Amino acid sequence: MNAAASPDDTLIRIRGLTTVLNGKKVFDALDLDIPRGKITAIMGPSGTGKTTLLKHITGQMHGDAGQIAVDGKNVPELSREALYGLREKIGYLFQNSALLTDFDVFENVAFPLRQHTRLPEVLIRNIVLTKLQAVGLRGAARLMPSELSGGMARRVALARAIVFDPMLILYDEPFVGLDPIALNQVLKLIRTLNETLGITSVLVAHELSAIQRVADRICLIANGKIVAEGDPHGIENDGSPWTRQFFGGEADGPVPFQYPAGDYAEALGFPRAKA
Amino acid sequence: MNARVDDNVVSRSLAQIGECGLFLLKVLAAIPRSGRYARETVRQLWFVGAMSLTIIMTCGLFVGMVLGLQLYHVLSIFGGTAATGTVVALSIYRELGPVVTALLFAGRAGTAVTAEIGLMRATDQIAAMELMAVDPLAYVAAPRFLAGLIAMPLLCCVFCALGIFGGHLVGVSWLGIDNGTFWSNMTDTVEVWQDIVNGVIWKSLAFGAVVALIAVFQGYTAPPTSEGVAYATTRTVVASSIAILALDFVLTAFLM
Amino acid sequence: MSQRKSYAVGTGLFIVLGFAALGYLATQTSSVANRHHGATYTVDAKFENIGQLKERAPVKIAGVRVGEVASIALAKGAPVADVKLAIDKRYADIPVDSVATVFTSGLLGDQYVGIEYGHARQYIADGGKLGLTRSSQPLEEMLGKFFGAGGGADAIGGSYDVTARFSNVGTLSAGSPVKMAGVAIGRVLSVQAEPGKLDALVTLAIDNRYNQIPDDSSAAVFTSGLIGSQYVAIQPGGSPDMLKNGDEMILTQSAMQLEDLIGKFLVNGSGSGDKKDSGSSATPAGKH
Ligand SMILES: Nc1ncnc2c1ncn2[C@@H]1O[C@H](COP(=O)(O)OP(=O)(O)O)[C@@H](O)[C@H]1O
Ligand SMILES: [Mg+2]
Repeated sequence: MNAAASPDDTLIRIRGLTTVLNGKKVFDALDLDIPRGKITAIMGPSGTGKTTLLKHITGQMHGDAGQIAVDGKNVPELSREALYGLREKIGYLFQNSALLTDFDVFENVAFPLRQHTRLPEVLIRNIVLTKLQAVGLRGAARLMPSELSGGMARRVALARAIVFDPMLILYDEPFVGLDPIALNQVLKLIRTLNETLGITSVLVAHELSAIQRVADRICLIANGKIVAEGDPHGIENDGSPWTRQFFGGEADGPVPFQYPAGDYAEALGFPRAKA
Repeated sequence: MNARVDDNVVSRSLAQIGECGLFLLKVLAAIPRSGRYARETVRQLWFVGAMSLTIIMTCGLFVGMVLGLQLYHVLSIFGGTAATGTVVALSIYRELGPVVTALLFAGRAGTAVTAEIGLMRATDQIAAMELMAVDPLAYVAAPRFLAGLIAMPLLCCVFCALGIFGGHLVGVSWLGIDNGTFWSNMTDTVEVWQDIVNGVIWKSLAFGAVVALIAVFQGYTAPPTSEGVAYATTRTVVASSIAILALDFVLTAFLM
Repeated sequence: MSQRKSYAVGTGLFIVLGFAALGYLATQTSSVANRHHGATYTVDAKFENIGQLKERAPVKIAGVRVGEVASIALAKGAPVADVKLAIDKRYADIPVDSVATVFTSGLLGDQYVGIEYGHARQYIADGGKLGLTRSSQPLEEMLGKFFGAGGGADAIGGSYDVTARFSNVGTLSAGSPVKMAGVAIGRVLSVQAEPGKLDALVTLAIDNRYNQIPDDSSAAVFTSGLIGSQYVAIQPGGSPDMLKNGDEMILTQSAMQLEDLIGKFLVNGSGSGDKKDSGSSATPAGKH
């Protein structure tokens, strides 16, 4: 327990989170603090549970043990109404965009506004076009999601995630499929949102160079735990075997490249070498 | 070996029925909350109802025509061709109308609903709604369920009207049954309460509820893969057909 | 936005179409279509046996529907059915000594109440009684088919109208065929009860192609098959003058009630030899 951090500084406080999925321990007594008003990057090998962690924070999945406090409220214990109230203040960018295929780009971005407010049409139009302008897709307002490329869809999803100016935005791999120009714009946007509106951001991504340009902190997650955390520029060389392997891209080290499996030689049908 | 497989099939079906029942409770509980999404219900009514009109009308016409043809030949054995209109109307109102409409509805609208919801799940659209604090039970499930419930009786009435028209076309225009006889015998026998309210309205309401529930449930619980959605779509048709015919027997026994 | 509006309009059209279909089914193809919502008056009739008679069964005079059965109850203190008939005010001149009978329309059809006019000068009033009744006769026997059925005629070359009066038209209705030698030559235009008279006035529309029908031809109400519908059969006479538009056919033969037919059949079938037998069996019963 980090007693020093007051609840005001910490937006998300995770303590002893343990989750078992299909007999595999995805989280093993994981502790994590996300500071308010900062951009925190979460990195880790694929399949370690980064997406699953974001789902726990938003209450889409529940762990087997542990606490997740968001803005002082313990998510697993919230009633449906309270959870929905909390979600209205959280923006979430899906790994695969998750645009509503029934609606065009404009209506997708306008969707949260239409569901939760009774704003006049003119105002909705202004808000939506502002957000689309910010991601560079104002001209695509009347396209259907099926007419967008992956990178464009991700930017529309980003516009939708920020349409309510939430207190917290969770980005799940936002940089995949973006060309360098769009990447630059999105990075600037994340930075601006953070600086001008004080929005807390949690960024799951693999691109270290991109992360280094925006993030205030990096947490490295592996084997169900936070194995390293620190400054984005210093973490590479902090001397821990985890960071050395992950940022160095080595196959051998504490993080297994192989998904847990039986003996390789045996699986291929070779006789076992006698010791 | 066989017994174990059967046991599995039985217990799996029972589990599905149980889950489906619980899901129904959840959808019913979500209906009051879906009031604010009335516009979405209207949109779904367009997709499951209005878009099914073509197939319902075509099939209603042909069913009525075939009935007219068959009954004319059977009744002529007894010199009772005058009863053709009556028997066409009664068989359509009491059985064929609701049952055939429901089967077509399951094939046309039920599968579409299952596939749509299944794909919405697979592409995280359902999760996205939850994260935008929009309850997918109230926004996705309840409007489709309500639309099915409302559309079925309306479609069934259209089917019946076209069926009567088809029977008239064959019986009167082609086979030469007398027009006045066709109608007067029908109006003498058909009872509003027994045949139209009990036969058409109640039955089709029940079928609409069952088909809509199964379609939404299968879509909602489909594994989020293309194969999972494909299987769920098939299951919608199979389960709906069985449920419609079984329920038809029960309702006929109770209502008639 | 416009996209959304078109959904709403289309859906609205769909709902209107559905309800229109429902309205059509309920009012045009069901017994509602037969019901007059005009004013009625109530007449009591007591029957020893009403058979399958149900509430809302038709009440007919000379085969024309004049009202319906309003209620059926067991009369107090006697094993007799108390039937209340709601009769259309337009037919307010039914003689008090008329006879009410429970008939079956066709062999397998529903039962209805037929009223045969009496000769009294007094007419029955609201709440009045029909003293003379005949009960339902259970039908145990199936009879064969007597008359062949045939198709209706299509009036292509126009038609001319002829009237005929029948004391009973059975289930004949507007649209029923008119046949000569089994061939359809026209159709029934209308069947009306004539208030104050004892018979039904039937108007026939006969195809212009068949304008060589002698004016002394006779018209009969026949049934095609046992359970079939009724039609008007014309048997040509020998007069040199032909029927013209507006003529009345004088010689008519009314519809036979199935009960009458069966009665005749049984009486004829029992023959002269059995007559004595039945008479003698009745007489001793009285002597005992
Ligand atoms: N719904 C689920 N049911 C079972 N196992 C799951 C489920 N979701 C994720 N997992 C497992 O949890 C692990 C973490 O998945 P995920 O969070 O998607 O990884 P990533 O870090 O690449 O985002 C994976 O091993 C996956 O197999
Ligand atoms: Mg992931």
